[in-house]
Amino acid sequence: MNLRNLWGRPSLARRLVLLAAVWSLLVLVVSGLVQTTLFHQASVMRFDDDLYADAQSLFAGSSVDDQGQVDAPPLTDPAATRAYSGTYWEIGEPAAGRLHALVRSRSLWDSELQEPPGGLAALAAAPGKMIYYTTVGPAHEPLRVGAMQATLPGRKVPVIFMTAEDLTPVEASSKRFALETAVSLMVLGVGLIMVVLIQVRVGLGPLYALQREVADVRTGKADRLDGDYPAEVEPLAAELNALVAHDQEVVERQRTHVGNLAHALKTPLSVMLAEAEQHPGPLAEVVSRQADAMRDHVDHHLRRARAAARSQAPRERTAVAPVLEELAHALERIFHDREVTIDWRCPDGLYFQGERQDLLEILGNVLENACKYSTRRVKAEATSVGIDRMNIVIEDDGPGLPSERRNEVFKRGERLDESEPGSGLGLSIVDELARAYGGGAVLSHSSMGGLRVSLDLPRAES
Amino acid sequence: MRILLAEDDPDLSRQLKQALSDADYAVDHAPDGEEAHFLGDTEPYDAVILDLGLPKIDGVSVLERWRRDGKSIPVLILTARGAWSEKVAGFDAGADDYLTKPFHTEELLARLRALLRRSAGHAAATLSCGGLRLDPRAARASVNGEPLRLTSLEYRLMHYLMMHQGRVISRTELVEHLYDQDFDRDSNTIEVFVGRVRKKIGPDRIETVRGLGYRLIPLEGEAESA
Repeated sequence: MNLRNLWGRPSLARRLVLLAAVWSLLVLVVSGLVQTTLFHQASVMRFDDDLYADAQSLFAGSSVDDQGQVDAPPLTDPAATRAYSGTYWEIGEPAAGRLHALVRSRSLWDSELQEPPGGLAALAAAPGKMIYYTTVGPAHEPLRVGAMQATLPGRKVPVIFMTAEDLTPVEASSKRFALETAVSLMVLGVGLIMVVLIQVRVGLGPLYALQREVADVRTGKADRLDGDYPAEVEPLAAELNALVAHDQEVVERQRTHVGNLAHALKTPLSVMLAEAEQHPGPLAEVVSRQADAMRDHVDHHLRRARAAARSQAPRERTAVAPVLEELAHALERIFHDREVTIDWRCPDGLYFQGERQDLLEILGNVLENACKYSTRRVKAEATSVGIDRMNIVIEDDGPGLPSERRNEVFKRGERLDESEPGSGLGLSIVDELARAYGGGAVLSHSSMGGLRVSLDLPRAES
Repeated sequence: MRILLAEDDPDLSRQLKQALSDADYAVDHAPDGEEAHFLGDTEPYDAVILDLGLPKIDGVSVLERWRRDGKSIPVLILTARGAWSEKVAGFDAGADDYLTKPFHTEELLARLRALLRRSAGHAAATLSCGGLRLDPRAARASVNGEPLRLTSLEYRLMHYLMMHQGRVISRTELVEHLYDQDFDRDSNTIEVFVGRVRKKIGPDRIETVRGLGYRLIPLEGEAESA
């Protein structure tokens, strides 16, 4: 999965990863918030329980003297005796709708605890019940207060008991908890995304394998897809195989049609030529010339059709040495009278990326041309160039070709020496075929005296 | 000179027969592969003009049968199919020359003359060495009856080794025999050709004598009888 695929265009991997990432982010954030809130609530509840216990003991220990004065219990939490220690209590009474302190802890010094948010009415509405609220303490600390209205025996006016405690430690531990939760959830999130990445990579693995196999089919390393694919990909692989087979069939059928048509024309042309030769005259001359032209056209288009069909599907590979050997054997027989020797060299295991027929056609035409013009000797040498190219050089010891005429050779049907037998199409089809294979032919002067043809062709892995 | 013409197209057959008779050849005509094979098998022809697209048995099969039976009549192949893959298949089957349709009758006659001259030129006797046979007249070689496909440099090497079988032949001697004066003679050339010939006739037939050269060894017991 490269970056271009990930960001450049719609990508399955990106879609899957993004979806998973957004979903896990959402889940993680919500669960983090919920956990932190719950933790905070639980802490405050524990806190409130303590405040309640303190208020109860304050209530239980308080008494009323003869003048109706409230006496606080003699001993409370030692922290409540230190000024602004964060632990406070206060006993008061409602007076003209406001809270009037009767007794308070030493820690409060001369300040008072705030009334509950609902005012004294809220306390009066539910006597004996603790009301908790958060406010600001005398030292500007966050303060949790519990307040309860109760009636003491011997006193008509109800008394309000209040206990309070600094909330700072709870806030701090809540913050610490939130931080820890966030960090651990982030680690979890990163882990999840990594798992998703691996999952996508593994899950999409068969697609990457499919891509490699299709490439192999295209480059000729395989005839069809052979991999064992999961149920979701298998139908695609089967369709691709069917497409490849269909494609091959169509190409083959076209080739056969073109071939049949071309070859069917040849025997009648032979008959016309022979007939014309037997009855010399102006008509015979025209027939003969036109029949020759027709032959050249048929040959040319037959070869072109083959070249075009081939270049679309270079799936095969062909060993070069046997092709050179067969051609050398055939051509030495054809040019037996002139005792032409073809000295060919080719490393074992050199393969042409393409069809045997085409390599035969390319090399056959170049070698035939070389034999035709050579005095006695033709040399062919094949060498590999890099991992995917090869070079085949064919030279002869004939008269050669002046450099200014070399370009003309590749023109369609060009015949440089009209007296030589043969259609003269040989070298132009060579260049055309070599180009169809992404290569080419270069003509130059050979040290042996004649023409040097250097062919650049694709090489298959051995 | 007696020629067998195997061609199924009646017009072309008539024309060719006429042209060949005019050139003072005695011509027999076979319109299909079966008859061509039979005639070639039973009658002593000097050359055969064989169309590859014959009915009943195709030309290549007819030719292969003749060659397998050890017949070395010169054969000129006629065919509409001019692709090199088809030409090569024809020569593999044992053809001596090849003409693609359509052709000029003059060219056919010229090729036929060359073919007849070629086969008449060599009068040397067949060489043999334990299953290996070499016929200089037809420039053909076979191993245990199976025709061998040799290029001319390989053929020259085989020929020289068989002419001097049993004797150790130095590399220099082989190079001089294989190549003309002006050929560049790099030292590993001979090894390349010996290697190729070994692949075709079996690895043990040509023995490397270290420091001296090569020797063709007859198979035990067969040397005398062959």
